[in-house]
Amino acid sequence: MKIEEIRIMICDDSMLSRKKLKDFLNSIGCNDVVEAQDGAIAIENFEKFKPDLTLMDIVMPNLSGVSALEYIKKRYPDAKVVMTSSVGTQETLKDAIKLGATDFLQKPIDYDVLKNLIERL
Amino acid sequence: MFSQYYGNYLLNSNIITAEQLLEALQKKSETRMKLGVLAINAGYMTAGQVENVHKQQAVKNMRIGDLAVAMGYMTNEQVEELLNSQKPGYLLLGQTLVDLGYLTNAAFEETINAYKAKYSITDADMTTATQSTSNSMAETLLETVTDDKTKHLYSVYISLLINDFVRFVGADFTILSADIKDIPKDAVYYSSQDITDNDVKLFGTTIAANDKALLEFATRYAEEPVTEIDEYAYASFCDFINLQNGLYTVNLSNEEGLEYKLTPPVYNDDLDSSSIDSQVCLKFMYPFGDIYYILSK
Repeated sequence: MKIEEIRIMICDDSMLSRKKLKDFLNSIGCNDVVEAQDGAIAIENFEKFKPDLTLMDIVMPNLSGVSALEYIKKRYPDAKVVMTSSVGTQETLKDAIKLGATDFLQKPIDYDVLKNLIERL
Repeated sequence: MFSQYYGNYLLNSNIITAEQLLEALQKKSETRMKLGVLAINAGYMTAGQVENVHKQQAVKNMRIGDLAVAMGYMTNEQVEELLNSQKPGYLLLGQTLVDLGYLTNAAFEETINAYKAKYSITDADMTTATQSTSNSMAETLLETVTDDKTKHLYSVYISLLINDFVRFVGADFTILSADIKDIPKDAVYYSSQDITDNDVKLFGTTIAANDKALLEFATRYAEEPVTEIDEYAYASFCDFINLQNGLYTVNLSNEEGLEYKLTPPVYNDDLDSSSIDSQVCLKFMYPFGDIYYILSK
């Protein structure tokens, strides 16, 4: 997929994290970016916008990233959801992989790794 | 990381006052390292020899290194080595205090030797701290914690916290043990997050500051100017605490097999320190202001 055609959803309760990620995505030519500030809005926006890639934080109010991942993967098994979190404990990783997460990016995010991941889509 | 403890040591040993420390921290960035302090730190010259060289320099128009060699205190190789060596941050603080007249060369010599001896620090540790030395340095801030398990969890926490402050906010701070009662009334802006074990709170973490310090913190953390106390400014506190706690849980999971979780961070502008059951209260003294960090039951 061409990078400018990829639609990405950033799901993170931190306004600062969303802004930093969005700035980075824009800088590599990815301008079709959707945002969500918790797991419940992530589900709603996923159904509305069908993003090609979802970057999902884990610790969020209302509905956690892991619960949102579970819901999305059940309904849309082909969805590509990459977990982005500072909490990359063994158990969290196992949970996320079991539920079908495509990958895991430890915060603070290494933008080179993220760029590689997007280019592989 | 030992730079951050040197100021703490000087203050706790009543060698300098909090005001003098703050002034030195603010002026540190303009300070240029001088050969005398470097030579004392390396053990190549005593403070008395440095004074002698300074006296001679007043009457002879020679560079201090050349004079030290001419007077037989150092070799050319030692002078070269000092000029080319890495200068740890604590030395810059020491130099600033000497320049300001708050420490004499003799007092610097005495404190740096006592400081290194007290914490069993080698010169190699000063630039590349190992995990175990970082943890034992952190333990010096935990004198009020008696329970061994809590002490261990907190020392690992504080060791990482200091690294994260250096990494994401800047290394120009001194860390002090504080009393939660001493948090000033205007430091009401905060973010909190709990670390949980099987959904039971293990301990709480809170970061707090006044408006000016929050804005400066946010500007450094976000790497762009933050001029108003808005959601964006608060997000820097929430992000930082979430990142610190996340990395902490990862380290404990990888190294000790402990699986802890986090609650979502919250923020507000009405910190009520009397309602916090504080176990450890730390003050990170930056030139722009103080950031408080509390670990609570």
